[in-house]
Amino acid sequence: MTPDDLRAFGADVDTGMARCMDNEAFYLKLVNSVKQEKKFDVLEESIAAGDLDAAFEAAHSLKGVLGNLSLTPLYEPVNEITELLRGRTDTDYSVLLSQIAAKREEFLAL
Amino acid sequence: MKGAQSMLKSHEKFHSENGKRLLLVADDELINREMMRVVLQDDYELVFATNGEEVLQEARKCKDVLSLILLDLIMPVMSGLEALQVLQSDSELSNIPVIVITANQNAEVESLQIGAYDFITKPYPQPDVILARIQRAIELHEDRLIISSTERDELTGLYNREYFYSYAEQFDQHHKDMAMDAIVVDINRFHFMNERFGAKYCDDVLRRVGKGLLSVVGKAGGIVCRREADTFMAYCPHGLDYEEILDKASVSFTEEESNGTRAWLRMGIYENVDKTIEIERRFDHAQMAADTVRGSFTKRIGVYDSALRDKEMYSEQLVADFDIAIKEQQFCVYYQPKFEIQSAVPTLVSAEALVRWQHPSLGLVSPGVFVPLFEENGLIQQLDVYVWGQTAAQIRAWKDRFDYVTPVSINVSRIDMYDPHLTDILLGILAQNGLSTSDLLLEITESAYTRDSKQIIDTVSNLRKLGFKVEMDDFGTGYSSLNMISELPIDALKLDMQFIRGAFATGGDTKMLEIIIDIADYLSVPTVAEGVETEEQMEALRKMGCDLVQGYYFSRPVPATEFERFLEERNKQAKATE
Repeated sequence: MTPDDLRAFGADVDTGMARCMDNEAFYLKLVNSVKQEKKFDVLEESIAAGDLDAAFEAAHSLKGVLGNLSLTPLYEPVNEITELLRGRTDTDYSVLLSQIAAKREEFLAL
Repeated sequence: MKGAQSMLKSHEKFHSENGKRLLLVADDELINREMMRVVLQDDYELVFATNGEEVLQEARKCKDVLSLILLDLIMPVMSGLEALQVLQSDSELSNIPVIVITANQNAEVESLQIGAYDFITKPYPQPDVILARIQRAIELHEDRLIISSTERDELTGLYNREYFYSYAEQFDQHHKDMAMDAIVVDINRFHFMNERFGAKYCDDVLRRVGKGLLSVVGKAGGIVCRREADTFMAYCPHGLDYEEILDKASVSFTEEESNGTRAWLRMGIYENVDKTIEIERRFDHAQMAADTVRGSFTKRIGVYDSALRDKEMYSEQLVADFDIAIKEQQFCVYYQPKFEIQSAVPTLVSAEALVRWQHPSLGLVSPGVFVPLFEENGLIQQLDVYVWGQTAAQIRAWKDRFDYVTPVSINVSRIDMYDPHLTDILLGILAQNGLSTSDLLLEITESAYTRDSKQIIDTVSNLRKLGFKVEMDDFGTGYSSLNMISELPIDALKLDMQFIRGAFATGGDTKMLEIIIDIADYLSVPTVAEGVETEEQMEALRKMGCDLVQGYYFSRPVPATEFERFLEERNKQAKATE
């Protein structure tokens, strides 16, 4: 995975890298570690089980990390779902969840 | 605020061991912590926490060196918000500043309300922004801590002097038309209290006096500080009941006194201050007023009035005119003869040189006025050297004209005794006039010995080795112990004039005089009595065994030309007995 791959994916690489003191290797290492992130699964499972508290916690954590790394295509739907979950909104989350899943697939393939 | 500015540099306490300040970064996400690490690690020492409980644990562990906490609000186990509440309520932790990190706009307001210093949003701003906000928060916080720890006097909790003055100035700015009083309160004989009851007891007394003062002055909208030792200052609206202030301050520490001892206070007031003069000077006025009732049992309150103002202005003029007076030789030396009285006919044996100031506009100024003044500000040293030079030149002139010339004693002030060049100065003056050490007698006041006796005794011993004769002046006014007197290197004891006057006053008692003369006898040194005015006094002293007498009975201090008649007489006397 290169910065250009991430740019093609839609990430704001320059901003994310600047937060890492423009250390490219360090930035890529952190971005790579997102590939092992289990919170995506926790989010999905918690919503399925109707545990919106746990779902919010997971979504909120993901939002923070994705935002800091400027993984914009993933950050945007996660941000949206976090705000819905914050109010424990009783709604159909499946559309947002599948959007997230699709972007995650794309990201894992990089 | 000058004092505070200079102290802001001393942040040692806040550094961890490697000299960097220590930050606690709390975030449950490893990636976020790692990003903070890479931003902060060059400038700060870091510890990490992943939930609220760990935050409290780490904060307690390094509370003395922890400069700041970066706190994520939403974390598992215990949230950042909960942790912040605990931090704020714990007096040991509440002074560690916290910056909250959050993506939630609403939580920002809440966290600031419960005491967070600042917040940093998520996604993180650029590193330089994070660094700047952290640095700013730490600086602000440390400045505040230092200010609050230095503006107070540790013992009493009152303002210290610097802050008192600047708050008083601030007060004036906001209350330009309010009439104000500057008040100084001292404890009479505080050093005796210290000796008798010890420092711990006296600290307690100081605390209670401060509390008592504040209870009245504070209520009236004034401020109070402890200036130093046992001196308090208050700046308050004009028209308070001064007696009440004193009563409150005195009663507060006599309540628990069962043995009946009580320290007693004196107060100096500069009423309705002139706000065009410096704040420090206003309290100088109040201090002057307080000094007028020092040690008085009947009068506790002194007021700065026109008489004191005149006195102060007079003093200021004397100091201002000093240099010109030396240059224009306005100071002149008078001589008072000393007679030996144990022989059948009193014989002239020496004289004392006494300075007079013939001021061009003020007339003859008494040394009783200008000597204490110059002793206070150090000018006395310059004056002494001038007088010594004049005296030596006069002795030289007499030596050239008369067969017989008496030695003349000069006054050596306490401050001269600390001058390492004293010996050189004296020897230089002698050499310049072709005199020897036997031509000058040195009078050193008794109180000089008691202040710092070891150094003074060394200096005196050294002078005596060179051949100077040393007389202890004003004996009976200081506090020499008998033990100390026996060790003193002196050649004569000179009894204080007040002593003589007291002994011969109506109802006076000469017993003490006799004892002192006996002491001198025991030490094998002659006694000199000053201020002898009548034949009766002279005869009594002769009977007691006093050796030398000086005073109006024989002659007042006279100009050099008049003194010559004593020299001529002495010469005639000597020839007659040949």
